[in-house]
Amino acid sequence: MERTPVTDQIVVRCRKGDVRAFHELYEAYSKAMYNICLRMTGHASDAEDVLQEAFIQVFKNLDKLTSDSSLTAWIKRIVVNHCLSYLRKKKVYFEEVGESDTAEETAVDETHYAMTVSAVKDAIGQLPDGYRTVLNLYIFEEYSHREIAGMLGISESTAKTQFMRAKEKVRQLVKLKTT
Amino acid sequence: MKLEDFIKQHRDSFEEEGPGPGLWARLEKELPVRQKTSVVRMMAKHWWKAAILIALIANAGLLVKYANTKQDVAVVIPEMEEMELYYTSKIEQKLDELKAIPADQLGLDSTTRAELELRNETYLLLEKELTENPGNERIRSAMVRYYQMKLDLLDKILSEQEKHTSSPSTKKDVL
Repeated sequence: MERTPVTDQIVVRCRKGDVRAFHELYEAYSKAMYNICLRMTGHASDAEDVLQEAFIQVFKNLDKLTSDSSLTAWIKRIVVNHCLSYLRKKKVYFEEVGESDTAEETAVDETHYAMTVSAVKDAIGQLPDGYRTVLNLYIFEEYSHREIAGMLGISESTAKTQFMRAKEKVRQLVKLKTT
Repeated sequence: MKLEDFIKQHRDSFEEEGPGPGLWARLEKELPVRQKTSVVRMMAKHWWKAAILIALIANAGLLVKYANTKQDVAVVIPEMEEMELYYTSKIEQKLDELKAIPADQLGLDSTTRAELELRNETYLLLEKELTENPGNERIRSAMVRYYQMKLDLLDKILSEQEKHTSSPSTKKDVL
């Protein structure tokens, strides 16, 4: 949902403390944002807790939303930030990798076997938190490696390497399941 | 096929249902609904405006009561005309200053604004009393008190207004 006169109206009404407007905003975004939380945390109950905190922040900070910024991108960023702080509390570290490790980037990027949605989903679910985070942020949330690096406090090359490794791991897990 | 392409092609199939109904119920309790809080905040910021109206009404009542009391009070009163000229010009000047402030910024309601006018109901009542009893000192001193009180209030409003307009907290919500 992008900025339209309708969403702008909702935001204006929220700023005035209109409860129905808050509900409309919640209805418009809760499903997509819950999915982000679910992918990032990997647990339904944690996803709801994180989403609750994120929505409270969204509701309280609508005043800070500038007229030229995308409402969706703004809400999504708040949600993602809450997911990342949840992961940090869980002691998930995003570490730098050495130069020599980046060679894996050239790994074969094609699969020659059938992928299924459930196999890929399961495989992502089995990834360690760090890999899963980088993979989710890049593929599902469509952030660039540079943006991801900024969010996680790592270098861009590390973000890229971690993503390649995560992808390789998914490929292996899917292969195990489908062959 | 690349993993990212596969996911993008089947993006919808990766989506789960939204959160359970309990989440909105929990969120609803924490909504920053401003109705209540803003009234409290408004009152904290504009308490003096409410105080004005109370003071105006209470003083008007006291003055009329005072003017009508049979008890003799020794009050030194300057010549009526001179006194009137002095106060009315000062009051008019303050009222002009007040009227230069935009109404929404001032935040005074119509009742309070009407009470602040020089020739309000209390004034007219006192004037009537004075015309009927020209030599009555109690009424004359009530008139003086009326002027003094009005001048004090106007001073207070103007100085408070200055404080608020210079403070950044009065910044309006802008889109």
